[in-house]
Amino acid sequence: MTNCERIELLRELCLAFGPTGCEHRVASLIKDKLEALGYESYLDRVGNLIVHIPCENAPRVMISAHTDEVGFIISEITESGYLKFRVLGGIDPRVLCGKHVTVETKSGDFVAGVIASKAIHHQTAEERKAVTPIKSMYIDIGANKKEDAESVVELGGCATFDSKFVQFGHENAFIKSKAIDDRLGCAEMIYVLEKIKGQSIPLDLWFCFTVREEIGLSGAQTAAQSIRPDYSIVIESTAVADLPDVPENSRVAKLGEGGAISLRDRSTIYDRGFVRMALALAESKGIPAQLKRYVSGGNDAGHIHKSGSGVRALAISAPSRYIHSPACVVSKNDYLSMGELLYTIITNFNEEEIKNA
Amino acid sequence: MLELLRKVSSAHGVSGFEKKAAETIRGLIADYTDEQYTDTLGNLIAVKRGNGQGRKVMLCAHMDEIGFMVTFIEEKGQLCIAPVGGISFAASSYDRVMSEKGVRGLIVPRGGVKPADYSADKFYIDIGAKNRKEAEKKVKIGDVFRFEADVVRLCGKRVCGHPLDDRIGCAILIEIAKALANEKINDDIYYVFSVQEEVGLRGSKTAAYAIAPELSLAYDVTATGDVPGDTPMACSLGDGAAIKIKDNSVICDPTLVEELVDIAKKEKIKYQLEILTYGGTDTASMQMARAGSRACALSVPSRYIHSGNEMLDLDDAIACVDLTVAYIKSIN
Repeated sequence: MTNCERIELLRELCLAFGPTGCEHRVASLIKDKLEALGYESYLDRVGNLIVHIPCENAPRVMISAHTDEVGFIISEITESGYLKFRVLGGIDPRVLCGKHVTVETKSGDFVAGVIASKAIHHQTAEERKAVTPIKSMYIDIGANKKEDAESVVELGGCATFDSKFVQFGHENAFIKSKAIDDRLGCAEMIYVLEKIKGQSIPLDLWFCFTVREEIGLSGAQTAAQSIRPDYSIVIESTAVADLPDVPENSRVAKLGEGGAISLRDRSTIYDRGFVRMALALAESKGIPAQLKRYVSGGNDAGHIHKSGSGVRALAISAPSRYIHSPACVVSKNDYLSMGELLYTIITNFNEEEIKNA
Repeated sequence: MLELLRKVSSAHGVSGFEKKAAETIRGLIADYTDEQYTDTLGNLIAVKRGNGQGRKVMLCAHMDEIGFMVTFIEEKGQLCIAPVGGISFAASSYDRVMSEKGVRGLIVPRGGVKPADYSADKFYIDIGAKNRKEAEKKVKIGDVFRFEADVVRLCGKRVCGHPLDDRIGCAILIEIAKALANEKINDDIYYVFSVQEEVGLRGSKTAAYAIAPELSLAYDVTATGDVPGDTPMACSLGDGAAIKIKDNSVICDPTLVEELVDIAKKEKIKYQLEILTYGGTDTASMQMARAGSRACALSVPSRYIHSGNEMLDLDDAIACVDLTVAYIKSIN
């Protein structure tokens, strides 16, 4: 896959519709991509898409990224045809007002919508000072009355941000899109699957595209319980704080300095030997990588590492600004180099080195 | 007991980085058990084999301790930190700390921060380095620091120091293993020194999954209500082994609680009942492992938990040993 093709793959994945609990379109898009590469994949009961590349008597390694993205679920249709909603995953209400969204219809198609709330002209002085709570917001799909809206959408239907995938900035080095968290991880896995095609790697490999990460890691939990891996590699994106008003000591990682390898987050203490091996490989092969320095967030490793009789875990995340918004921003070079790092780890996996650290 | 507690407390073991603690404890329990091994997450497991027809009994104490992880080194050489486990910054300020590699320092609040505003990002570790360059020679990002370990004797059998939570539990397990070493016990006894308890009972979860015990007992410290101003709690230093009825993570098996109380009465071992209204213990993860096990805990009442100086009465710990040994023999 050329770099251009990799960007195109990321674009396609990011623009797919897949809020938490409604990931089947993303899974089927990935399934098609994998089929084209000659891989057979299967869906488990909760919707995780899994590719198994068997190798007997070898360490079992689960590599995962989640297919879901933050989004919305319709909780009420008002008399005048507006849609009240709840959020799926952690979304800051301050980013919501005025945003374009895509709403899933009853027939499985989509309609455009806008997240609206009272215009500034009609707000009281108090309302202007406060953040509009989500319960006071609604999605406007251009319906005149309840019946009109009900003929198109239904309670429990989902929505996501509607935004463009754009390359921008100095030397076009940045990408902005919705759902980079975690379609970027999915794209890295597809890239690596292409790269290892036909190679014989002495690992029992399980590539898992997991569901429902954003509301509590439940897809990865069931996948890990059934796969029973010895090792877990989670490919993610992480919120960074490389912003002017954040002191240097609170910044998580820097855009453009490579995938961020976690030491610890709110859900996992990563395996020391695994982290050391990944850093050493990055250094010796000249692949950029950095440490995730601030303890924040969590990912699928939180459940995976505690599954069965324990799993050694590693997480590599693309530093991402404005995560969980319609415009997450990542570095193109980080995206490109993370795939190489994952490939390098898989093809140079050294169990003794990890265990004896 | 004091000497043993000093030995097990001396080894570094901040959550996630318990290797040294495991090595030390392994050396102390090896003579009393048939085999010892560590698992994927680093739990140390020592087994006394029974006759092959008995139950699997899991006795568990956690060997990890709370501490600090270095996240950033300031230009002037101070180390920014993230807490590992439930750190009370008010209780820790100006305490001495030591890294896994033996670098010493102080945990101090930034200038001008009022105690009411204490939090992790308002604190740093000062190792006395002149600048970032000098600090980087001794410490790197991801290194962990613990409170300096020291156990001192106070009035009577009372001691204070760090990390009594939960090296006292580890010392109790070693004493139990010693007492049972030459007894003919039908059950397999698994002495488990678990990792990552302080960050969410993580190690005991995977250890219990692998062992699949029928009977589980945890050994940990618990709070007391015996200091003026404390929240009322019927648990005091020196009143004996605290048989846990409930904490925030677990409701112990009521018949197991009853059996332990009966044995304590019969053998005239000092005991009290414990109901802790906050906090959790490895008891919970053992109780819920696989298809579940009968679980309870014996706790050592302790004051000032999660400060750099916890206080307890060694007689309570000895009561935990005696009660366990008597119970295991009684169900044989």
